[in-house]
Amino acid sequence: MDFTFFKVALVLYLGASVGYLTFLVLSKQTAAPVAFWASVAGFAVHTLSLLHRAVFSGFFPLATAFDSLSFFVWLVVGLFLLVRYKDPSPIFGAIVTPVAAVLMVFASTLSYQIQEPIIPILKSWWLPIHVALALLGNGVFTFVAISGLMYIVQERLIKAKRIGRLHKLLPSLETLDTINRHGLPFGFFLLTVGIISGALWAGSVWGFYWSWDPKETWSLITWFAYAAMVHQRVVLGWRGKKAAYLAIAGFCLVMFTFIGVSALLGGHHAFSGTGRFVSPSGY
Amino acid sequence: MEILVVGLNHSTAPVAIREKITFPEETDGHVSLSVVHASGVEEAVILSTCNRGEVIAATEEPDRGMDALVETIGRIHNLSHEDFFDYLYLLRGPEAVRHVFRVASSLDSMVLGEPQILGQVKDGYRRAAKVNATGPILNRLLHRAFFTAKRVRNETGVGKAAVSVAYVAVELAKKILGDLHKKQVLLIGAGEMAELAARHLATQVERPIVVTNRTYENACTLAGELRGSAVRMEEVQGALIDADVVITSTASCDPIINRPLMKTVLAKRRYRPVFLIDIAIPRDVDPAVNDIDSVYLFNIDDLQSVVEENIGERKQEALRGENIVNEEVLKFMRWMETLEATPTIIALKEKLEQIREGELNRLNGKLSRLGDDEREAVEMLTRSIINKIAHDPIAFLKRTESRSRRNVYLDIAQRLFGLDGLSTPSREEKGEPAEE
Repeated sequence: MDFTFFKVALVLYLGASVGYLTFLVLSKQTAAPVAFWASVAGFAVHTLSLLHRAVFSGFFPLATAFDSLSFFVWLVVGLFLLVRYKDPSPIFGAIVTPVAAVLMVFASTLSYQIQEPIIPILKSWWLPIHVALALLGNGVFTFVAISGLMYIVQERLIKAKRIGRLHKLLPSLETLDTINRHGLPFGFFLLTVGIISGALWAGSVWGFYWSWDPKETWSLITWFAYAAMVHQRVVLGWRGKKAAYLAIAGFCLVMFTFIGVSALLGGHHAFSGTGRFVSPSGY
Repeated sequence: MEILVVGLNHSTAPVAIREKITFPEETDGHVSLSVVHASGVEEAVILSTCNRGEVIAATEEPDRGMDALVETIGRIHNLSHEDFFDYLYLLRGPEAVRHVFRVASSLDSMVLGEPQILGQVKDGYRRAAKVNATGPILNRLLHRAFFTAKRVRNETGVGKAAVSVAYVAVELAKKILGDLHKKQVLLIGAGEMAELAARHLATQVERPIVVTNRTYENACTLAGELRGSAVRMEEVQGALIDADVVITSTASCDPIINRPLMKTVLAKRRYRPVFLIDIAIPRDVDPAVNDIDSVYLFNIDDLQSVVEENIGERKQEALRGENIVNEEVLKFMRWMETLEATPTIIALKEKLEQIREGELNRLNGKLSRLGDDEREAVEMLTRSIINKIAHDPIAFLKRTESRSRRNVYLDIAQRLFGLDGLSTPSREEKGEPAEE
C-alpha cells in the first residue's frame, strides 16, 4: 500500500502552515507567497492521492474514515484556494492550512484497511453523492462561520478605530460579507440535496426514506435553521454583523449534527462492523 | 579605491541651503562628468532631489578627492566654502556605501519608505552612466543599491502603511467597502484637506463625485474641478442615501448630520454600510452616529492618529530594513577588497598552485615508482612551469597600479582566471592577508 502522495501532501500542508505562521508571527513578507504555493502544490498532490485511493479501492474513495477525512480536507483546501483567488489576504491560509495539516495528521492515524467484504449498502453510487454533498456543505458552512468571526472582529476594530496590524491582516468587511451572502445559500443548497440524496439512498436499500434516526432529525433541525437564515438574508436584507452572528450559531448546530450526534446519540449513521464509523459524514 | 559621498539632505541642511545646491544643469549627466574631470576622481554620480543634493564618487585618493569634491560643488553653485561646508556630510568607505544603500531603500527619506526616491536614484545613475561618468565601481555600487532597495521593499513593510490623511481615508474605505470601483463619493462643503481626500478617492471610483455646498455656485465650481456633479444643500438627504463614502467639511457650527437623520437615511438605503469622514472643525457629524450599525465615522483626529500609528509602524519596519542594508554593505565591501591588485595576484598564485598540487596528486600512483631525486625534479619542473605562466599576468597586474583603468583590468583578470568569487566562492571567505 503506497501512501507517498498522501504523505507528500501532508508535508506540503505542514510547510504551508509554517510559512503562514512565520508570516503572522514574524511578519516576514516573503513567507506568505511561499506558503500559498506550498498549499497549491499540496492540493495538487492531494488530488493525486485521492485518485490513487480511488483506483486502489476500485470505487469513490470514501469507504473508510481515513478516506472520508482526507476527502474533507481536500474540499476545505479547495474552497480556500477558491477564496484566495478572490481575496489575496493571507489570513485565510493562516487558518485553513494548519487545520488541514492537523486533520491530515489525524487521518493518518485512522484505519485505512478496506473491510472485505464491504457492507453492501456502501457499494451504492449514492455513497459518494450523499457523502460528498454533505461534506462539501459542511466545508462551506465552516468557511462562512470563519468569515463571520472575522467580520465581527474587523467590525469592532473599525468601530473602535483600532487600525493596527490585525485590522490590516483581516479582509475587508465587504469581502467577508460577500462570503456570507454567497456561502449561505450555496451551503443551504448542498445541505438540502445532501438530505434528499440520503433519503433516496435509504429508500433504495431499506425501502423507507425517513426513519427519524437521530442524525436525520438533527440535520432536519439544521436545515430549518439555515432555511430561516437564508430567508433573513435574502428576503429581509439582513447583512453584516447580524448575518455573521447567525452564521456562527448555525455552524455550532452543524458541528453538533456532524460530530456530536454520532458520538452521543448513535443511530444508523454510525456504521458498526468495523468498530468505527465508516463515514464521518453527517447526513 | 574608495567610495566617497559628499552632500546634504533635509536633516543636515535647512531649505535655504538645500535650494542652493540642486545641480541645476544636470539634465544629461554632463555635470557628473565635469565633476569627474574637475575633482580628479575616477567615477561620479550626482543625486539631486528636493530633499537632497549629493555626489557619489569613487577615487584612489580619498583625502584629496573629498576636498576636491567640496570645492567643485561650491564652484558649480557659486558658493564659497563657508556658505555650505557646515551642512555637508562627508562619508567614505563602508559609511558611504551604507548611505547610498539607505538612500535608495528610502530609509533616509523625510517620509520613511516613500517610493519615489528609488526612481530618482536610478535616473541620476542613468544620466551619469550614459556619458561614462561611472565605471566598474559605481556601476556595481548602484546596482547593488537597487538590489538592496528591492529587498527592503519586498521583505519589510517600510513602504506599506499609509502616512497621509488622504491615503488613510482611502485605505479605510477599502477595508469597509471593499472594491471602490462602483461606489459613490459625496463631498459636503469644501476645504483643502477634504478636496485632497476626494481627489484620492476619485482615482479609485468610476462614478462621478457628488459635491454639495451651502452656496450652490461654489459646489458647481468644485464639481467642475473634480469632474463630478453638484447638488443643492437641501437635497443632501437624497445624496446621503446614494453615497457610500461621505466627506464633510463645512464651516457650520452645528452638526449637519445627526443620529435621527442618519437612521432615516440608513433605513432608506437598506442598511448598506456607509463610511463618513468628518474633516470639519467644529465637527459636522454627531459622534453618536458611529454607534449606528453599518455606519463608520472617522473624524480628522481619528485619521491623524492612524497616520501617527502608521508612521510608528514604518519606523519599526525600517529597523528590519537597516539589517538588510548592513548585510548588503558587508557583501559590497568584500567585493571591493577583491579589486585590490595584491589580493588578485595572491588569488591567481593560489589558484595555479592548487591546480599543480591537484594534478600531482592525481598522478600519485604513477609517480610513486620514481626515486626521490626524480620526484624532486618533477616538483621543480611543475613549479617552474606555473611560475613562468604566472609571470606575465602578474607583472601586468602590478603595472596597472597606474590608476585610471586599473579596476577594469583587475575585474577582467579575475573573470579570466575565475577569481571573482563567482566561480570560486571559497576564496572569498578566506580573504587572508598577503604574505607577499
